[in-house]
Amino acid sequence: MGTHVCRKQMLRWMWRWSVCPVAVSRGHMPFCSTQGEPHQVNPSHGGQVTHRPGNQLSLCSLLEMGFSETQAKEMHEGATKSRGKHVPSVMTALLLLGLNPSSILKIMQKCPEVYSLKGADLQQRIDHLRKMGLVEGSLQRMISHYPKIMLLPVKRVNMVSRLLREKCLFTIHQVTDILRDSPEVLEEDLAQLEYKFQYAYFRMGVRQPEMVKAKLFRLPLSELRCRHCFLERRGLYQTPDKKGQTLILNPALKDVLCVSEENYLTQVAMATAEEFHVFRKLMAREQEEKGREDEYSSDEDEEDKDDVLHRRKHHWNTGYKKDRK
Amino acid sequence: MAASVLTRFCINKSKDSIRFIQRRYRVKTKWAATRPTFPATELALHNFDTSYSIQLRDLWPSIRVAMLSEQKYGALINSFSSAPNVITELEAQGCKDFISIDCTRNEVHQSSLDSMTPHRDSTELDPAALQPSMSPDIKCLVFPKGDISRFNPARPDSSGILGYYLLDAASVLPVLALDVQPGHTVLDLCAAPGGKTLALLQTHSVNHLWANDLSGSRTMRLRRTLQSYLPKEFLEENKIHITSTDGRQLGMTEEKSFERVLVDVPCTTDRHSAMVEENNIFKRSRTKERQKLPLLQTQLLLAGIQATRRGGNIVYSTCSLSQLQNECVVQQAISLAQQELGITMQVQDLRWFAQCFSDTFHFAPQLSVGELVLPHLCANFGPIYMCKLQRMN
Repeated sequence: MGTHVCRKQMLRWMWRWSVCPVAVSRGHMPFCSTQGEPHQVNPSHGGQVTHRPGNQLSLCSLLEMGFSETQAKEMHEGATKSRGKHVPSVMTALLLLGLNPSSILKIMQKCPEVYSLKGADLQQRIDHLRKMGLVEGSLQRMISHYPKIMLLPVKRVNMVSRLLREKCLFTIHQVTDILRDSPEVLEEDLAQLEYKFQYAYFRMGVRQPEMVKAKLFRLPLSELRCRHCFLERRGLYQTPDKKGQTLILNPALKDVLCVSEENYLTQVAMATAEEFHVFRKLMAREQEEKGREDEYSSDEDEEDKDDVLHRRKHHWNTGYKKDRK
Repeated sequence: MAASVLTRFCINKSKDSIRFIQRRYRVKTKWAATRPTFPATELALHNFDTSYSIQLRDLWPSIRVAMLSEQKYGALINSFSSAPNVITELEAQGCKDFISIDCTRNEVHQSSLDSMTPHRDSTELDPAALQPSMSPDIKCLVFPKGDISRFNPARPDSSGILGYYLLDAASVLPVLALDVQPGHTVLDLCAAPGGKTLALLQTHSVNHLWANDLSGSRTMRLRRTLQSYLPKEFLEENKIHITSTDGRQLGMTEEKSFERVLVDVPCTTDRHSAMVEENNIFKRSRTKERQKLPLLQTQLLLAGIQATRRGGNIVYSTCSLSQLQNECVVQQAISLAQQELGITMQVQDLRWFAQCFSDTFHFAPQLSVGELVLPHLCANFGPIYMCKLQRMN
């Protein structure tokens, strides 16, 4: 319903801008004049409007959209600073989404680069996200919480979506859920993304539905690895064998990842914070050294295999991996 | 499914497509030939999980994660080195000598103690035992709790002698507990590779040291260690006698010869067995050897008891958590010594000892006999078990 009203408003404003570059309004006195002249804002209010037909946002129009005076001023400053050339069309696209003025303001504060977009591009990206299955409600929420998503080209969104579907074998619904819960996924390096998936799939024995439920992609790989290895080395998590069996009952992934560190330590790991912090430091060092080792081992493949295997064993040996292929 | 996942792929260009093959599938015959089907380290871990989860209950997960993570070392200072600033350089990196720190703190505490606390076993505690009686000359530097810094390898001084020896700091505790006094003759029954032997020599109280180990190669290693740490003049003084025989024989040949005896027996070396695959005692070909360990350990301890003079001290130590290799061996040896040899051994209470060092190490609560240092991430030393006995007749 809100969208419908918005659209009507939009058409009115667009007509106004095309026919009459200078906003005509009667109610909002301090900022506008009723004459067809380039208007200047009362100097005591601090702002300035340079008049260029159709491309610049005017304070009047902002006020008409529903912004309060202070909000409008801030929006205006932001727009001018960004030197974006198509700010009104950007505003159009955002308003079409049904976002209210304070949300829009917050978005611009979080991500001023949005000012510099082209309205058509933005609209295209929003439509694309809709096609990906993000329905009204979640689409708006996602954009409000993670405005950077509007800066990403459609191509990028497609690449990530394809990776998730083709390499990681998530269903389309699951991909939508992932995008909705963890939009950061769209900015992540593709190889890293796949590695994180493989870590959860092979190393932890977790399957796709569980990964989605646990919002796997919200966590950086280092934190995932840290929480998992801590449990594994304590004997509280086992990698399932090829039949999917373990000797103990593994905690659910969402109980491991979706809880605060404090709850994770008291309920799942049953350890002290000091232990976990020392463990984190040790893990970071292990990973750093493993990374350097990988560089060397790729050069000296055959001769040093036993040694590398030895040291690899050191790093990976933390549980029961009955089936080693 | 295979657990190790590598981000490197090899690209197989076949026909029109490029196939990404994960590195583990790339055909490498050498790799396939050397990879064990069920690694000994996993057998070891399985064994530990079964027995220690029952024996140590709630403590086991913390111990397990510590044993599977990088262990913490201590730098045993070599007072024979002529290098001037070994200690100050190490202290500049942030580490401290835990022995002097824990001892001075404990002495202050002891002097303010008025009454004696009740004792858990029936033997009487004389006041002398309450005071930490140990050699102040042994210095071992460690990084503070929670600090995971590593030591740099020791550098040789002008005569080629190394400044410090890196070992598990908990290994020094049995030597401290042994309490070598000036003029004592000491027997180290299973001396190789030589860390504890070196610590014994740091007391500067040893009149004569007999260091023995069963294996010839390990004795060679011991010799090399001593050569790297002791000046030639000292080695030539004939204060140290190194043999390569079965320690069980020494009980009979060297009866009642030593004031102090250290029996650091071969054991399942828990931490090592969980991490290192090579020649692991849990591999199937060594199963019989491993199962006979408690018997061997009891025999070695008995031999050590026989070699101890009346009134002398003997310390038994292992680096395993297993009750079967620790308390059971000690108790068995004590009763066998009484029944078969007529030797009465008295257990020396080391609780004050554990109290003294409780800031640096995690000790297991309430063992029936002896003390056990538990690995813990914040103090990743051990496992080390030690028990001190005194020969009464």
